[in-house]
Order: sequence, then structure tokens, then C-alpha cells
Amino acid sequence: MFPQFGATAESLSKASTAVFRIGTDAHLYDDPDDVNIAPLLDSKFDSEKCEALKRLLALISQGFDVANFFPQVVKNVASQSLEVKKLVYLYLLHYAEKRPNEALLSINYFQKDLGDTNPLVRAWALRAMAGIRLHAIAPLVLVAVGKCARDPSVYVRKCAANALPKLHDLRMEEHASAIEEIIGLLLNDHSPGVVGAAASAFTTVCPNNFSLIGRNFRKLCEVLPDVEEWGQIMLIGILLRYVIARHGLVKESIMFSLYNKDHSNLDEDEHYVTSKEDAGYATEKTVSELTRTIFQCYIEGPDEYLSRSSSTIKVAPKLDESQYTSCSNEIVKILLQCTSPLLWSHNSAVVLAAAGVHWIMAPKEDVKRIVKPLLFVLRSSPASRYVVLCNIQVFAKAMPSLFAPHYEDFFIHSADSYQIKELKLEILSIISSDSSISFILKELQDYIRDPDRRFAADTVAAIGLCAQRLPKMAITCLEELLTLIRQEFLCGEIRSLDGEEGVLIQAIMSIISIIKLEPAIYEKVIIQLVRSLDTIKVPAARAMIVWLLGEYCSLGEIIPRMLSTVLKYLAWCFTSEELETKLQILNTITKVLLCIKGEDSWTLRKIWTYVIELAERDLNYDIRDRSRFLKKLLSSNLESQNVEEENGESQKKDQKRVVAECIFGVQTKTSTVPSEPINDRFYLPGSLSQLVFHAAPGYEPLPKPCSLPNIDQYDGSDKSDLDEVDDSGTSGSSDEENASDYSSERSISGSSEVSGSNETVSGNEGENNDDPLIQISDTSNVNENQNGGDHAGTSGFSDLMSTKSLESWLDEPSKSSKGSETEQSGVRRSSARITIGNIGSRIKPKCYTLLDPANGNGLMVNYSFSSETSSISSHLVCLQVLFENCSLESMFDIVLIDEDSSKSVDSTDQISQAAENTVKSHIDKPALVSMEEIPSLEPGQKAKRTLLVRFHHHLLPLKLALFCNDKKFPVKLRPDIGYFVKPLPINIEAFKDKESHLPGMFEYVRSCTFNDHIVKLNKESNSLTEDTFLVICETLALKMLSNANLSLVSVDLPVASNLGDASGLCLRFSSEILNNSMPCLITATVEGKCSDPLIVSVKVNCEETVFGLNFLNRIVNFLAEPPVTHS
Amino acid sequence: MLQCIFLLSDSGEVILEKQLTGHRVDRSICNWFWDHTNSQPNSYKVVIIIIIITFSLSSIIIFDFSVLCLQQQPVIASPTHYLFQVCREGITFLACTQVEMPPLMAIEFLCRVADVINGYLGGLNEDSIKDNFVIVYELLDEMIDNGFPLTTEPNILQEMIAPPNIVSKVLSVVTGNSSNVSDTLPGSTASCVPWRTADPKYANNEVYVDLVEQMDATINRDGVLVKCEINGEVQVNSHITGLPDLTLSFANPSILDDVRFHPCVRFRPWESNQILSFVPPDGQFKLMNYRVRKLKSTPIYVKPQLTSDGGICRLNVMVGMRNDPGKTVDSVNVQFQLPPCILSADLTSTHGTVNILSNKTCTWSIGRIPKDKAPSMSGTLVLETGLERLHVFPTFQVDFRIMGVALSGLQIDKLDLKTVPYRFYKGFRALTRAGEFEVRS
Repeated sequence: MFPQFGATAESLSKASTAVFRIGTDAHLYDDPDDVNIAPLLDSKFDSEKCEALKRLLALISQGFDVANFFPQVVKNVASQSLEVKKLVYLYLLHYAEKRPNEALLSINYFQKDLGDTNPLVRAWALRAMAGIRLHAIAPLVLVAVGKCARDPSVYVRKCAANALPKLHDLRMEEHASAIEEIIGLLLNDHSPGVVGAAASAFTTVCPNNFSLIGRNFRKLCEVLPDVEEWGQIMLIGILLRYVIARHGLVKESIMFSLYNKDHSNLDEDEHYVTSKEDAGYATEKTVSELTRTIFQCYIEGPDEYLSRSSSTIKVAPKLDESQYTSCSNEIVKILLQCTSPLLWSHNSAVVLAAAGVHWIMAPKEDVKRIVKPLLFVLRSSPASRYVVLCNIQVFAKAMPSLFAPHYEDFFIHSADSYQIKELKLEILSIISSDSSISFILKELQDYIRDPDRRFAADTVAAIGLCAQRLPKMAITCLEELLTLIRQEFLCGEIRSLDGEEGVLIQAIMSIISIIKLEPAIYEKVIIQLVRSLDTIKVPAARAMIVWLLGEYCSLGEIIPRMLSTVLKYLAWCFTSEELETKLQILNTITKVLLCIKGEDSWTLRKIWTYVIELAERDLNYDIRDRSRFLKKLLSSNLESQNVEEENGESQKKDQKRVVAECIFGVQTKTSTVPSEPINDRFYLPGSLSQLVFHAAPGYEPLPKPCSLPNIDQYDGSDKSDLDEVDDSGTSGSSDEENASDYSSERSISGSSEVSGSNETVSGNEGENNDDPLIQISDTSNVNENQNGGDHAGTSGFSDLMSTKSLESWLDEPSKSSKGSETEQSGVRRSSARITIGNIGSRIKPKCYTLLDPANGNGLMVNYSFSSETSSISSHLVCLQVLFENCSLESMFDIVLIDEDSSKSVDSTDQISQAAENTVKSHIDKPALVSMEEIPSLEPGQKAKRTLLVRFHHHLLPLKLALFCNDKKFPVKLRPDIGYFVKPLPINIEAFKDKESHLPGMFEYVRSCTFNDHIVKLNKESNSLTEDTFLVICETLALKMLSNANLSLVSVDLPVASNLGDASGLCLRFSSEILNNSMPCLITATVEGKCSDPLIVSVKVNCEETVFGLNFLNRIVNFLAEPPVTHS
Repeated sequence: MLQCIFLLSDSGEVILEKQLTGHRVDRSICNWFWDHTNSQPNSYKVVIIIIIITFSLSSIIIFDFSVLCLQQQPVIASPTHYLFQVCREGITFLACTQVEMPPLMAIEFLCRVADVINGYLGGLNEDSIKDNFVIVYELLDEMIDNGFPLTTEPNILQEMIAPPNIVSKVLSVVTGNSSNVSDTLPGSTASCVPWRTADPKYANNEVYVDLVEQMDATINRDGVLVKCEINGEVQVNSHITGLPDLTLSFANPSILDDVRFHPCVRFRPWESNQILSFVPPDGQFKLMNYRVRKLKSTPIYVKPQLTSDGGICRLNVMVGMRNDPGKTVDSVNVQFQLPPCILSADLTSTHGTVNILSNKTCTWSIGRIPKDKAPSMSGTLVLETGLERLHVFPTFQVDFRIMGVALSGLQIDKLDLKTVPYRFYKGFRALTRAGEFEVRS
């Protein structure tokens, strides 16, 4: 309006705020690109990096694409400053999907951060890593999530739960079971915060896997009040679905009573309830009908609904008795008990979710508990007020008596938004009862005077609705409306006022709707309206009054007498009318003509012909068309009437008359309002679909009642658990019936179900081997995959039952290699040792302590990984275990066994959890090939044993039990990833060929400093003959070979190097992963001066991403370790 | 789950954009939203009508052209996304999703975001958000992860991300380097009372309990009190060392019609004995909300009278004390919207000042009601030509404040501290304000 003024105001305000903006990031937001960002990113100062990153964020928030800085930003992920890290993560997550290849560069740092001691760093790393959402790293993320799900920090576990939906988003069907496994673990967490996050993951990932819930239903209910508010919302929904799926609906709930409306006793009951509330609802039948529809909508999916609505008769599929449970059921009681305090939550979403549970499950007399909390929520933010009102509207429709006493809460404030006003009006008209209607009407009368005319018009409509609902009040309402119309006349030229027409039109519509109820009583009202035609100028209103005249032209005594006068008046003003009025006049005159017989008919016919003639020459073609049509239709009729007078009837012409009568509906109308079929679609309370009136993607209706027993079938331990619960819960005889119903159903469907699930599982497993990583690589693996698929068919079922399918996933591909195993072991044996020099003999595998004498009553057990591999199974890793008796007494019966198997032997009759373990250990191969027992060990004596161990995972320690003198010592065997491979003797050409097949994401590089050679050089500095290069080569090769089971392929010396410069020295090692014989190639390149600490950059090429990265980390770690001083 | 959050300024400009999931939302959705919002008839458009006001002694005219009050539906289904919006002080918080989720969760979350940002920046406006956009980004990142709320407890957030304050501002100017991101994870994330700062230490242990009540009342055109109720809050400001366990009981809990609690309140003791037992968060927080319905009278009365004839309407409003509550009633304010059919207004008052804004909002600020006489406002309104008399009538919104009284009559019985041995100072206050206090004419 005043641009110059606006400009000054703006600059003024800018100037005034400038003072306050010092020290903020204002300048960064205002001019994000006034400096060159790129060099700042490369700066070595954190503050400069921060500034650059902030500028990038500012650009992002202003909608610019700054993805081109990606490589430079990613570099900074290694920064130690948490602020830089945070900013980098913010940037990274924004663009990671656009730049997948560069994003992969950061994975190493995330992996490093995941091992950080600071939980915040671990959590952030996990969040960022999962947030990148690339298929290539999904297995890595899965492992990381699995690890973090067992993290000591609650916050990290919470983030792990949140990361699961991110993984699920990538649609990794092959990992679905692993993800669900982790969800189960997190749902069982002792910290409520984690449970809440796990609940949300459950809803997004596997909302129908009720076995996870069944296992700890009671615990979840107990923990519910302590869960964070957001988790509560999700958890409430899950628990409700579970109870319905497991136990069915509640007999005493509104849902049941209305479903079985035809049971006469229940019908009476319903009457009783409403009459108690002294609210004789006229349309009670339709209300209950509506309730039935609502609840039906809750449990049926959209597909069913569509198929049903296409057929004309809507018959609700009846649920049989067995699908109901009583509210005395323990489980239902627990659910209602644990959700009822949540009605006091300060979070309106929690209140609504809890109210939804009570609405569906609570016995009818307890449902009113939700009313007050819902009404109290209305006082929170306006936005949530709208949502709550939308839900109350449905509740009130289904059960008006619930909200009837609280009508005051729906009185309208002038500050309410239009939508809220609209909803409140509708609710008021729904819940109006005989006792409250006078107050409500008084209030509505006030609203008509509101300056917002649209709202006033709605109010008038609401008055009409109230009158329809409570016929007793109809006359009062009508009076009210008529005075309103009269007042409108007093205002004079209402056309000039905005919105005033709307009120008038609405008033007449409301009057018409009331008249429709019982036209005979309201004859005078009709006359009054027709008389007012002179003053009413609004075309739509006039049209309606004209219609009213035509509709009830034969009603009563007076109307037929005044017809001719009124029609003459209409004909007289026809030309000055608006389009809609003209059309209505044509209709009405025709109707009157068809209805009225007698002395007036001649006059009427005259008027009709006059009007038709006028209409035929009208400017508007609609009117011309209508008039021609009517003329054709009725001309014969008129003639026939003429003829009728002369010589009787004519069959053929009568037909036309019948048609005309049909069209104009002359047949006597039924005075009752036919109850309209309810076509609305209802959605669960508190859902988004409920607000937008269509099923939003992902909307799930309630599960089929009692559909769960089938799901239980495959989870043995779970089933027994549930049965136990069920037994304790059921008390009534009817429930006994239910229970027997379940079991019979179970036994019938049992066998087929098992085989079915088996099949689907095997299908999954087939895909399981279809690791995306393999797909990308070359075709040689196809064969293996198919192989694996066959194997999985048999192993799939058992696999599903294992609690640690994460680990089994890692081992999975190994099954495919079983066939070729013997052949490979042959190859290995022939080339076991290293070929260059005498290095092989100098390898000193590192020794670890399994049990020190202090803890083991003088027994010392050390172990070292052996370079041999087992001939029994590729899963097994060979260990040399050295037992030494350091005490003064001799020892007997020393044996090492697997912890799990020992437990299962000990406690056969324990809870299902233990039972599950035994099941698991049955399926998995034993973790330890039983060791040859040492019968006795004298003081000072040593004994050596070779142990074959199967680690579950290359990172997780294996728990073993060491028995000695009948005492048990729990010990932990730490795996060394360096021995999860076996040497792969190939020549340099083959190496290079394989390496070229594993580029890009299968290649990981890290560098470290290497010091070992310095010690050695210093030691041998006097012997000048020694070649420093050779020393470096030797120490490096020795270090590598002592710590990992590799074979040395080649050593490349730099050709034209300076004497003291070792840069360019390159050692190649090859190996293959033990359990799936995938090649794993290692290249170590040296840089730096010979006498200084060298920088060794290690490159690993391996298809198995997870393994490769972990392997690389391990190599880098041991290379950087200080040298072991050899004795 | 939420896919994206946008912060829009009052002119529809996107201030911030935070993508939450892999399903990216293009910011063109904001344009759609803005067009949709403005196409709705119920968003008040600023219509400039020249108001002829005769300058009288007590009327002041303020022209305010920037009032654009958007009363938009909080949940909108756009062609591609479902949008949730919460509007606070001109800033629109817009969240998008494509899948089913509890809509109230989204709305509550957006409200929480608005509250937290408000608390951090000490007020919401476009400039303060732009000035501290990095903090807002970091906050959003901490508050929501993959579309699901992560940490929303203000106490913990403040430990993770330091709010901007004078000291840090000065520091950053001087050194050019300051990090507002904490290096360590707040201890409370791991504790069983996640709302409480890990281990605060205070020299003076003190707890202040305030009863802050809002009176909602509706007086209809006949002058009848249709509805009168109190919506109250128990606000607690606690500074106690260690991990205190407080119990608070009321002398007359039976008058409470309905309650809502902070998550720290244990449900059991309330269910059985109506006692509030809780481990308080550190600092200021809202312990509970309550409601007392069906009150019989209001402390002040407002009596508007409108008589119209011959295109002129006479307006007279009287305000006075009904029955003395014993404390002074101050900050009395009467506001109303002149109907659109009024061309000009000339209003004078015997006490206080009258302002008429360009959007026909009329404010009469009275302040404290004098003891001796009841203030009144009177004047004439000129109707649109052709209009003989007024047929629509304004609603008067009344504002007042009474210190030291809780009109509901709720009384705190006692406040006890368990588990921590030392003494502490207790303070109680009460305050009643007008909430949705309306008088129709």
C-alpha cells in the first residue's frame, strides 16, 4: 500500500535490531556467500571450519544447492570438535543421497566414532551413518545398530531404535528378521526411554509382528506410564492392536452392543441407557446404525469396504461370539488400567490415544471416563483443539449421550477460528437434548448476531438440525427462524451487505427442512413465506420459496385457494427474475398444473402458457430448453384434458402424463424422512485419516479380532507364554469357550500354517543371499547364490527361531561354500607357509590370556591363534591353548566347554527364555568342538591343546566355561579377525586381476604409523651390511603375518628411490575369508624416511564390506602397536 | 512420521528447512501452502478502510498495516503431502508427511519446538530465528530423529546446546570462537528422571509454587452468565540440590474438576489420596493444569449498550467491580472488533485510553479500576450508508489481572521434601487473569 513507508519502517527496524545482533550468526545468514567458503573448509582452525559450515547451512536454509562442497565437507567429519562434527552431520544428511559415492568416504570415521568412549559421539555417529541411507552400507549400519542396541548408554540405545526405521526404509527384506530381532531386544530394554523409541520403530517396521509384544505384554503395560510421551502414543496403539488381535473385542463395549443390535435384549438395554439420560432422540435408530458403521469401519480394511459399498445392501459381516472377550479378561483389564492414568497427560496426543483405547475397549459404562479429559484438552493450543474436536464429533455422533451434559464446553468464543466454530456448532446440534436445548437455542440466537455472517449462516443451519433431532422443539426453532427472516426485512436492502444473503438462504433452508418433517402442521408457515416473496430479493431464497409452493400446492385448505393469485404474481415478475428463480417458477407452475384439477385449471393453464411463451424467448438457453421440454411434455397433457372433457381418455397420451407426474413427483410424498444410508467413512480415533476423510497411505484398521493364534504358531516359546497368560486371565465360562475355540482353530490350521510359513521363510532366505553387494559384483557368484538358496530352504525355519540372527546372517553365505570346501582345504595345505626367506619361522603369534593364575586358583591358561585351519568346518577357527599349573597342587579334569550349552544342561526346567536358548544352541553348530580333557596337571606342568572354536561374530567375545577340579570358571575368548581368514596363495597377476574386480566401495584405505623397524634398525645399526629396506620389509611382513593369517604375495621395492627414503615400498598380502572363501586382498604401501616412523597406508579390497572394514581396522591397530620385544 | 519441517515467516518466506527422512520434500510445497492459505476466505485480509475519527481528548489512533491473522486449518491435505501447521507470533511451523501418523503428535511436537525456540531466543520473530539459525538447526536435529521426536525436554536440550546469552555473544565477538555444542551427554538422558538435570548444586535451596489461574467466562446478550470456569496452572520454580522428592497437597482438592500433569507426577498417590508426589525438574516448569467449572460470579462486570437509529449507533460500556475480591484488580482492558458495516467511530472514555486500529479493533485500556466511580466509555458509531440500524453486534473481550488471589478458591495445604535432609525455603503465590472472558452485546 505504502511502499516507501514500508521501506523506511523496515530499514528502521533493521537498524534497531542490528545492535542486538552482534555476536549472533546474523551476518552469516544475511550474506552467506560474501567470502570464499572453500578455503575456510580446508582451514586447520575449527572456528573457521565452523564459520564455513554455518555459511553452507545458511545457504541450504535459503534454498540454494551447495552439494558441490560435499567432498570438502566430508573430510571434516574427522574433526575432533563436536560442533564441527554436528555441523558436518547436518550438511551430510542433507546431501548424502545426492552424492552417494562421496558419502561412502565418511563411513570409516563413523565406524571409528562408534567405538568412541563418549556416548554422545557414538550416538551421533550412528544417527548420521543410518541417516545416509545407502544400500551399500546398509549391512554395516545393521551391524552398528546391533552393537549400539547393546550399548551401556540409554541415549545410544534410543538412537539405535530410531535408526531401525531408517534401515527399514531401504527395503532390505533380507534383513527384516534381523531388524525385528533388534526391535524385540529393545522392547525388552529396562529403560523406559528406549522402550518408547522401540515402540515407534515397531510401528513403522513390523506393526503386525505381535509375537514380539506378546512376549512382554505385561512388562510393556507396567512401563507405559514411565515411557516418554511420544513413545506412549505409539505404545498405546500397539497394545490396543495386540489385545484385539489376541483376545478380540470386548462384549460390554459400545462396539459389541451395537454390532448385535438385533438381539432384542441389547436393544432394550440401549433404550434404557438413553432414556436414563432423558434424551429422547428422534433419530436414535440412525444413531445406532451410524455407530455400527463407525465400528465396522474401524476393523475392516479399505479393500473390504470398497467391495462392500459396491453392492447395494450393506450387510455388516457378523462377528461371532468367539471373537469377543469379556471385560473381566485380565489382559483387557490391564490394558485399560495402564492407559487410564494417561488421560491426565499434559500431551494432548497421549490423551487422545488413551481415549481411543477406552472408546473401543472399555465397557459402556466406563467410556464416560474419557469425556472430561478430552474436553480439558480443548483448552490447549488452538491447533490441537481442532483435531480433538474432529474426534469428539465422531464420538458424539455415535453416542450423543456421552457429551450431552457438557454442552457448555462447546459454546463458541469469538476468538475461535472458523473451522472450530463450525465443528462446535455441529457437535452442539448433535448432542442437544430436551434438557439442554433451551440453553443451546439461547446461545445459538446470540451467534446469529455475530458480525461473521458465514458463521451466522451456519448457526441458522444448526438450529434447523436441532429441530430435526428434537421434534418437540421444532416449533420453537421455527418461530426463531421466522423472526429472523422478518428482522432481515427490517434491515431493508440486504443485498448490499456481504454475507447477509447467506444467512437468509440458510434460514429458509432450515425452515424447509423443518416443514418437511410434518408439512401438515406448518401450512401457515408456508403461507407466511409465500407472502414474504414480495420483500425477499435474494434469488436463491426466492427460488426456494417458489419450490415450497409447488411442493405443497395441494396441502391443506388455504394454499390451493391462493395458488392462482400467487402464480399470477410470479408470471408478472417472471421477466425480472434471476436464472434460478425463473427455472423454479417454470417447475412450480407445471407441478401445480399437474396436481390441481377443478375450477382453477383453466386460469392455471393460461398462466402456464403465458410463462412458457415468455421463457421461450428468454436470453438464457437453459430456460429456453426447459420451456421447450415442458411444452412438449405437457402440450399433449393439456390437450388430453381437453379431450378428457369431451370423449374420455386416451391410453397413449396418458403415458406422457405419467412421465410428467413422475418427473415432477406429484405422487404423494411420504411424510417421514427416510433414514439416509450412511455413506461416511470412519477411521480410527486420533488418526490422520480421520481428519482428512480418506485412508492416508499406511493407515491400518484394527486387526481382525482373534487373528493372532495363527501368528503364534511358529513361535513355540511364545505360544506357551501366551497360553499361560490366557489361563490366568480367563475366569468366566464363556471365556473358557473362547479359549477352546482358539485351540481348535489352532490345531486345524496348525499344520498348513507351519508349512506355509516355512515356505515364505525359505523365500526370504533365498533373497537373503541376494546380498546387494554381491549383485553388483561379477557373475561368478550366481551359482553360489542358488546353492545358498537351496541350503536355506532347509535351514530357514530354524534360522528364524534363533535369537541372534544377526550373527547368523554373517555366517549365512558360508553355507553356500560347503560344497567346494574340501577342495579348497587341499589347496591351502600345499601352500601353507610363506615363501620368501625365513620369515615363516620367525612368526610369533601373539599370546592372549584366557585365565590368569590369580583368578583361576593357580591355573594359567593362555591362547594364541594358530595359522592352521580346521578341516571339519570352515566356521571353526583353530586356537592353541596352553594350560599351565602355577599352583603347588595338582589339578584334575580340566576341560573347556561352551557357556550356553552348559547352562542348558544345568537348568532344563527354567523359564521359556532358557528354553529358547537350548533351541538355539541346538540349531547352531556348537561353538566349541569339545576339547580333549586334561585328566591331571601336576604343579609346574604345561599342557597344550588345540581348540576349534566357532565364534558367533568376529567382534563379539565367546563365553566359555572352564572346569577344573569341578569348579567352574567363566572365561571369555576374544576373537581376532586376523584369523578369520586363511592364506590364499596366488601370484601377483592373479592378485592384480582380483583387485581390479573390487574397486570403489569394496576398497577401504586407512593409514597409520609404523615404528617397529626403528627398534630393529637401532639394534642392528652396527652391521652396515644390512639393507634398511629389507629390514623394513621384514619387520612389516613379520608384523602382518604374526597378527593375521595371510600369505605374502609380493614385495615391490621402489626402483629409483633415495637411499634413506622408503616411500613406494609396497607389500601385498592375500587371504580369503574363512567361512565364505571370498578373497580379501591387502596392500600396504609405505611412505617416509627409513629412519623415521613410517606412514603405512593399508588398503583392503574385499567384497564383504563389513568384514573388510573391520579387518582393515584390525590391521591398522596392530600395525600401530608398539613392537613386542622378543625374548 | 514427519518428513520435513519448514519455518515460514509472516510473508511466506522459508526461513529454515530441515529434512528428516530420505523422502525429501521440495520446498515448493511451501508455495502451495501459502497460496492455499491466502485463498481461504477466512484468513483475515487487511482491508484498509478509512476511518474518520474525530480527535477527542482520549482517543489515539494507531494505524497498523501488517496485521494478517491466518486462521488456517492445522491439518491440510495437499496434493502430495499432508501438512501440519502451527502458527506462533507470525512464524508458521510447517511439517509434512506422506503416511498415516497421529496428527496430534505432529501438532504437539511443533508446539514444543515453538516453545523451545521461544525459550532459547527469548521470543519468536523472524529476525531472531535468522540470527540464531545454527542453534535452531542444532535444536531441531536434537529434537527429532527420522521424523520421530528424540529429546524434547528443555532441561536436557539446554545442557546439550547452550542457549545464546550475552556472555557467549561477547565471547564470540572477542575470540571469534565459541562452541554452543556440549561435549558430553547430559547425565539425565540416562537417569530414570529424564526431565531433571543430573546433579544441580545450590547454596540456597528454594521452591516457589505459583497458582496461576485464568478465568473463562461468557456473558450472553441478556447479561446472563452462561459459563464461568477457571483454568489454572500450578507453576513451580525449584532450585534444590540433589534429587529431591516433593509432595504437594491441596486443602480442597475436591473442587478440581479435571487435571493434567507434568510427566514427573506419579499417578498412584494422586489416584488414591489426591496428593502430588514428584521429583521436580530443575528450574521453572508447569507441574499441573486444572479446571474448576461452574463458578457463580465474576470479579468485575462489563455492561455494553448499543442503540442504533437513523444510521447512527450509540455505544456505552460500563465497567466496574462486582464484589470486591479484597485485592486490586488491575490491567483491565476491554477489546472489541467493530462490525464491518461501521464506517467511523468516535469514542471517549472517562478513565483510561481508547485506541482504534485500522482493522477496526478497538481497545480500551483502563488499568486499575478507581474505587469511587465506575469507568465508562461512550461514543457514536456511524453506519454504512443505507443502513438504518445495527443488526450485528460486537463481542467484548475483557482482560484483567488480580494479584494474590486464586479465584477458584484452591488452596495449597503443604509442601514437603523427602529424601534430602536439608532445609529449604518455600514460597507460595497466586494470580488470576482473565482468559477467554467475553461479554456479548
